[in-house]
Amino acid sequence: MLRRYAVELMIALAAVLFIAPVGFIFLTAFKPDTEILHFGGLLPRDPTLEHFRYVLGTPEEIPVFRWLFNSVFISSSVTLLVLTVDALAAYALSRLNLPGGKAVLALIVATMMVPGQVLLVPVYLLLSRLGWLDTPWALIVPAGAGAFGVFFLHQFFKAVPQELEEAAAIDGCSRLGVFWHVMLPLARPALATLGILTFIGSWNDFLGPLVFLDSVEKYTLPVGVALFQMSYSIEYGLTLAASVVCTAPILVIFLLLHRQIIEGVSMTGLKA
Amino acid sequence: MISRAATVATLPATETPSAIRARTRHRRFLGRLGGYVFVLPYLTLFVVFLIFPLFYGLWLSGMRYELVSPQPPRFIGAGNYLEALRDPAFWNALGATVLFVVAVVPVTLVLALALAAGLEAVISSRRQSFYRLCIFLPTMITISVGGLVWRWFFNGEFGLFNALLEPLGVKVPWLTSPGWAMASIVLMTLWWTLGTPTVILVAGLKQIPRSYLEAAAVDGAGAVRRFFWVTLPLLRPVLLFVAVIQVIGGFQVFGQTFIITRGGPEQATRVLMQYIYETSFNMYRLGYGAAMSWLLFVIIVVVSLAQVRLLRQR
Repeated sequence: MLRRYAVELMIALAAVLFIAPVGFIFLTAFKPDTEILHFGGLLPRDPTLEHFRYVLGTPEEIPVFRWLFNSVFISSSVTLLVLTVDALAAYALSRLNLPGGKAVLALIVATMMVPGQVLLVPVYLLLSRLGWLDTPWALIVPAGAGAFGVFFLHQFFKAVPQELEEAAAIDGCSRLGVFWHVMLPLARPALATLGILTFIGSWNDFLGPLVFLDSVEKYTLPVGVALFQMSYSIEYGLTLAASVVCTAPILVIFLLLHRQIIEGVSMTGLKA
Repeated sequence: MISRAATVATLPATETPSAIRARTRHRRFLGRLGGYVFVLPYLTLFVVFLIFPLFYGLWLSGMRYELVSPQPPRFIGAGNYLEALRDPAFWNALGATVLFVVAVVPVTLVLALALAAGLEAVISSRRQSFYRLCIFLPTMITISVGGLVWRWFFNGEFGLFNALLEPLGVKVPWLTSPGWAMASIVLMTLWWTLGTPTVILVAGLKQIPRSYLEAAAVDGAGAVRRFFWVTLPLLRPVLLFVAVIQVIGGFQVFGQTFIITRGGPEQATRVLMQYIYETSFNMYRLGYGAAMSWLLFVIIVVVSLAQVRLLRQR
């Protein structure tokens, strides 16, 4: 028993080490510059909103709201696109007994092992041909090609008992009807998990916006913050305030839905 | 069922049963093929933005394709690959990447396993999921924010780490010495990425039947022996999966070095992805960038296959 508590103490200590840097960002963003440069305790002695006022209040210099809007728009669109096309594909591939369906699925799943970096240059040229560089479409449409969601939903759909579908078909449901009225409601937890993981992945993407976007007002928050850090490297207060703005939405989502997020990530290992 | 019987009844009597069967089979095949309508939206994106670019990249890697050059792109065969083999910057970047993978992957596996086993030992499931949440939280932070705060922690003059070490009279050149810079990147990466392997291994541990461990305990095996002789062998498939994912991710390391060290000092942390990025999008030598991407791809595939070969259940 004593040993178990010793182990728990170590784990608790590790947990503190993991969240400390995040807490540090949030606490330090409220410190005045003098306190930031001379570390004297975790909590701000003289809390201030001046960094936030500057970061949020000078849109012509730092378009944080613009970046926030871009991030929300891009991540929501990616999520919607991925859920729509992946759910349709996964349903058909797992339930409709398509000729050659198994081979198509195997090909899709195999591409999960393709590292994203090998696609960077060719997709860049493809987007340039389409005239999508420096537009949100560059980050939205290619994201729909990822195989993870199809695989993830396929695992779910194939476990649904055949009788449910047959019952709906006898009641006169078309295939689209079965999909819409039977499969989608059943898959709601899986869709929610996939949706959250997709949203967060898109929100936190760094390399994509860095390569495919050019103009400052088109940036997403992560790239905006990185740009910020390069041009205001001395003014940590401002960069930290911008980081808080960038991180807060994701942290809220995570704290509300952590169970689903962590379960979703855990499942990826067991199903492989 | 009823509808098919009706169809048969209305067929002309001259048709042989086998012809009818062939026709219904053909019709059913067409009906099943119709299901591809559902797959079409995804398949279009899949082909256009994944399959096509994969091979387009391979073709590009055989081209001298320079966006800023006045010369039109032309085919040069293996030219880009030969250039990479002679390019000291490529070898330096490959060396830095391999060093990173070799340092980060084993440590990640050991620590994730230790954290997962530790988490499973926590009796209260509420506290267990709270600790798990804390360990997973950094994974949710975007690299520009995480990199920013760690760069500041590592700062030699007014960084947190050296401030904490000051009473001991130690001053570590976290980001200014080549050796320490890579160690710093590894340390930051562990903080940022340990969450995913840990939660996957926790899920793997939960799948191991308790009866196995109890049987081993009855046979007199202590906790350490149970872990190494029962838990670890049963966890092997999950561990293999985690190891492969870690290696694939490790070879593509980019954000950490790009934000924290910018590849320095003395290019000690200029990893392959950063060199590919700079070649392709700062110097606009897309053919050479594509060739190095394919080299990296081949390296990743070979290493992953070797891992599966070596670690798979014998």
